[in-house]
Amino acid sequence: MLPLAPWLIWLIPLFSSLFLPLIGKYSGRARDYFAVASIAATEIFSLSIIPDVYFGASAGTDYVVPWLTIIGVDAGLIVDPLSILFANLISFLGLIVVIYSLGYMKGEEGLSRYYFFLILFIGSMIGLVVSDNFLQMFIFWEMVGLCSYGLVSFWSKRVEVVRAGVKVFLMTRVGDVSFLFAIAILYANLGSFSFSYIMAHIGDLPLFTITAVAFLMLGGAIVKSAQLPLHTWLYTAMEAPTSVSALLHGATMVKAGVYLIARMFILLGPLISLIPLWLSTISWLGAFTALIGATLALATPDIKGVPAYSTISQIGFMIAAFGAATSPSSLGWFAGLFHLMSHAFFQSLGFLAIGAIIHMLHTRDMRLMGGIRKAMPFTFALCIVVLFARTGVPPFASFFSKGLIVKSLTLTGDLPIVVVIYAAIALTFAYTLRFTILTFLRDESEYVVKAELHEAPKIMLAACTALAILCAAWGFMANAFASFMHVSQVIQISEIFSSTTLIFIFVLFLGGFPVYLYYYKMDSISGAFKKAASPLINAAANGYYIDQFYDRVIAGGVAKFSSGLHFLETTFFEKIPFFVSIGAIRFTRSVHSFFDIVVSKILYILRDRWLSDEERNKEVVEGSLPSYLVVFLIGVIILVIMLLMTIWM
Amino acid sequence: MDVILKMEVLLITLVLFTIAIPTTYFAERKHPGAGAAILSLVAMFSLILILSTIPSIVDPANNYRYLETYYWIPEINASFSLFLDGISLSLASIALVIIAAVSTYSHDYMQDRKNTDQYYALTTLLSLGLMGIFITSNLLLFYFFWELILLPSYFIIGEWGSNDSYGIAFKFIIITHAGAVLVLLGIGTAFVETGSLNIFQVQSILTSMQSGITIWMLIALTIGFAVKLAVVPAHIWLPDTYSEAPAPMSALLGGVMTTAGAYGILRLSLGMVYSTLNSIVFKLSFIHILAIFGVASALFGSLLAISEKDVNRLLAYSSISHMGYVVFGLSLFPNPLAIIAVVLHLLNHGISKGLFFLSTGEIVKQTGTRIMDDIGGVGSQMPITGTGAAIAALSIGGVPPFACFISEFFIFISAFQVVGLDSFYLVPTILMLSVNVFSLAYSTKFVGSVLLGPVKNNQLHEKSKAIIAVAVILVSLIIIIGLLPTIFTEFIGLVSFQN
Repeated sequence: MLPLAPWLIWLIPLFSSLFLPLIGKYSGRARDYFAVASIAATEIFSLSIIPDVYFGASAGTDYVVPWLTIIGVDAGLIVDPLSILFANLISFLGLIVVIYSLGYMKGEEGLSRYYFFLILFIGSMIGLVVSDNFLQMFIFWEMVGLCSYGLVSFWSKRVEVVRAGVKVFLMTRVGDVSFLFAIAILYANLGSFSFSYIMAHIGDLPLFTITAVAFLMLGGAIVKSAQLPLHTWLYTAMEAPTSVSALLHGATMVKAGVYLIARMFILLGPLISLIPLWLSTISWLGAFTALIGATLALATPDIKGVPAYSTISQIGFMIAAFGAATSPSSLGWFAGLFHLMSHAFFQSLGFLAIGAIIHMLHTRDMRLMGGIRKAMPFTFALCIVVLFARTGVPPFASFFSKGLIVKSLTLTGDLPIVVVIYAAIALTFAYTLRFTILTFLRDESEYVVKAELHEAPKIMLAACTALAILCAAWGFMANAFASFMHVSQVIQISEIFSSTTLIFIFVLFLGGFPVYLYYYKMDSISGAFKKAASPLINAAANGYYIDQFYDRVIAGGVAKFSSGLHFLETTFFEKIPFFVSIGAIRFTRSVHSFFDIVVSKILYILRDRWLSDEERNKEVVEGSLPSYLVVFLIGVIILVIMLLMTIWM
Repeated sequence: MDVILKMEVLLITLVLFTIAIPTTYFAERKHPGAGAAILSLVAMFSLILILSTIPSIVDPANNYRYLETYYWIPEINASFSLFLDGISLSLASIALVIIAAVSTYSHDYMQDRKNTDQYYALTTLLSLGLMGIFITSNLLLFYFFWELILLPSYFIIGEWGSNDSYGIAFKFIIITHAGAVLVLLGIGTAFVETGSLNIFQVQSILTSMQSGITIWMLIALTIGFAVKLAVVPAHIWLPDTYSEAPAPMSALLGGVMTTAGAYGILRLSLGMVYSTLNSIVFKLSFIHILAIFGVASALFGSLLAISEKDVNRLLAYSSISHMGYVVFGLSLFPNPLAIIAVVLHLLNHGISKGLFFLSTGEIVKQTGTRIMDDIGGVGSQMPITGTGAAIAALSIGGVPPFACFISEFFIFISAFQVVGLDSFYLVPTILMLSVNVFSLAYSTKFVGSVLLGPVKNNQLHEKSKAIIAVAVILVSLIIIIGLLPTIFTEFIGLVSFQN
């Protein structure tokens, strides 16, 4: 390990990000290369930790410095297989994406902001995975959300982009609150945020508390990882530049939730088998999300919607696999993380390849596309790699990872879940095939002909190629990966080949054949079937109206309630002082008029008794000085008498 | 009389501000802009002075307090004393930073306004009052300073505010003065009952005395301070006042004056009176009611802010919401972490809200409108002011690594500690957690519609050097406190409210 590597892997990007806007003021080129250099340095430091973990103990090591002494919290880093796996994935994909951005984002306005948030995003995510306590992790967790907000609303001149950024930030905040709740309960009960302390003492807590904490943390994780039913923000986040989407799906943000669940297995240790409800919840949730996500990807007309919903579905696979695990040495835990890696490669590649297409066509609507293979053969080849890698055609990476997931679920005996997972695998092939047909295979559309396509800049293609190679090769590294993760199982590659290849190919056929029929043998499908299926397809294309429900009912409800309250406040509550003062004025006026009217009436009546009519008329005309004088004198006399009385007494 | 031989830094601070009142007036008259410079310099110098007391504050031999005692009115045997402990040191130093920032920015903001000589003299008088509240341990003096902040605020809002400013200033002074009367009632009762005007003496006498009137003292003081804090339903003066006052004044009101109200509740209501009570039943119901009012303010303010269209009023409602956090935190008294959290939140909210008001003040001044629908894309034209406003907004929205997050987090974890002892707090705590989402909603609404989005106002640019300086300093403070709250929590943690 290079000196101080666990600190530098997140401090380098965090500090570099601060300098980027300053450098950008003087030279855009220098800023871009500085960004690449800082992530390259991060990558070198992350790689240098691998040998220590590979040959070290599985429990890992802690690096601690004092931080919030007043509540007894230290800042610290944990270096163990899980954290270093993530750190390497993030810095590697980060490097690829930053290099790709050199070509993809060239000439955009506000690039200093783009690189600032991008580098900060990478640094925060690495900080998240190497934190050794929940408070520090939560701060990075939120910073990841903040950076995604900054990046999603990058093209901020468009109103819908700004809205998308706010929606992503707010929806993920709902999950963050759940996570915060769990952390606060842990601290209130144990008095510490530190992983090592929690591992040692969580067994002292009552089972109810542990269950509550586990479910609340799951709440945080499923929102961040875009699982049902709070998955809709991930599609909204597609307003981001495609390079950002690649990073967001491959390594940062959505992977944070997977990391949290994987970390919980280590923290809870043997206690995890005491909460079987939690385990079966995550298996079912994952499997169901895998299936629903795949149907969404099958129906979307948006080219970026395919990988977006695909990520939702693929993360469902990982989470379902975690549900089959009972400890960090279980096959399910390993299978989930193995699939996480293969997903990172093929999904980033998918995004980056699509990015090249969007870069040229300036549209995201697949219905306008077709026959792109002629103008962009290299991109087409990359997309074929994505097709094989994503669906798990042997021997691409996800064949092995999905094989392991199925195996782990079969071992625990959750056969219904296995069936759902197979269905999801079939649909994965279906939607990726549909995407390939719509964009590349069918005849060239008018729109494409007009656009005069050509290949993307070399630097973008180079970045994609690196990923394509990994997509093909990663599966064979299963054993090395297993010993890196210190998982006791030996993965027999040949065994996976022999046991699952046939089933896989059969399942893929089941998924792919209808798509083929739909697009190439349209006539042979009876009109009745199309009619019957169209409401379902419509519903799926609209995301089953879940997003509309959140927008209209929940967000709309809060907004309605808020504006109602606002109306009440401005028209009534804040006017209370005015009502009160008006009341006071009315009151004093009425007191005044009481004396004016009633008392003077009495005086008039008295005067009327004393004076005759003639005298009164005379008084009205001339006034009556003598009578006033008389009254005045009487008053003076009374006063003098009173004065004398006080003196005598 | 050995006290005279010591450096009397607190007295010097007060004297400095007093001298600065005429000085700023005459200097500003001769050289426009000089008033701002003098007030900022006085504030910065006072900051250095009060920081010099740190060695005696951290000394256990002084009971973690720095004291200065003077003989005052012999007839009522009043010796008045100035003091600093961890809490008042932190609050006073942040108040001074905000005063310096406000006067620096006033230099540009008030440039083309009339009668700036009077403005600076009044602002200095207001600063004197605000400083005084934090550093005195004499109840009469406390009340004197408490009233002292009202008059200059009235005239500043009335004279330099917008739309119907004197009407709004009248509303402000009448309602907050009604609160001040209750404070006077509480203080007067304390003097009659105990024969002392020193906060700490009153506390120890009350502890040994136990009289039935103590409860009424507590209630009068708390309601009196709550009016200044703008706890729902006593908030009705606040939205108009904050939105119509000139931006630097709003920053002082929102950043420091509400803090003074919370300090009053903490130091006098809870510290001096509540902690001496014996009746558990009354104590519990009192803090439960406080918690309910806190949650109500937090929810009410944040929900109103979501649908507000006027930038300044949005900030005003967010102040109500944040004071809800503070009151909720105060209701966890005497949990030590909660006290630290509340004081830290006052600091963080003060800086963030101060920066928020100042930077939006610049934006509103340049665009000429306060309606958010008419402002857009400011960030690309005014990058530094825009960044300052965005960071202030995100801090107010509770996003790490900015300051308000860490104090809100402390409030939450202390709330969960209390939930373990008193299950009443479970529901309020969950409601407070949900306020977190609403806070982020209105702050991102501000960022989205004012700073981002299509450009709607042309010819905006960084005109004011002062706002750049203020933004750079306050943003650094927001991030530093957000990551290392220890620099304050160490001092705040030294204070104990137990006898």
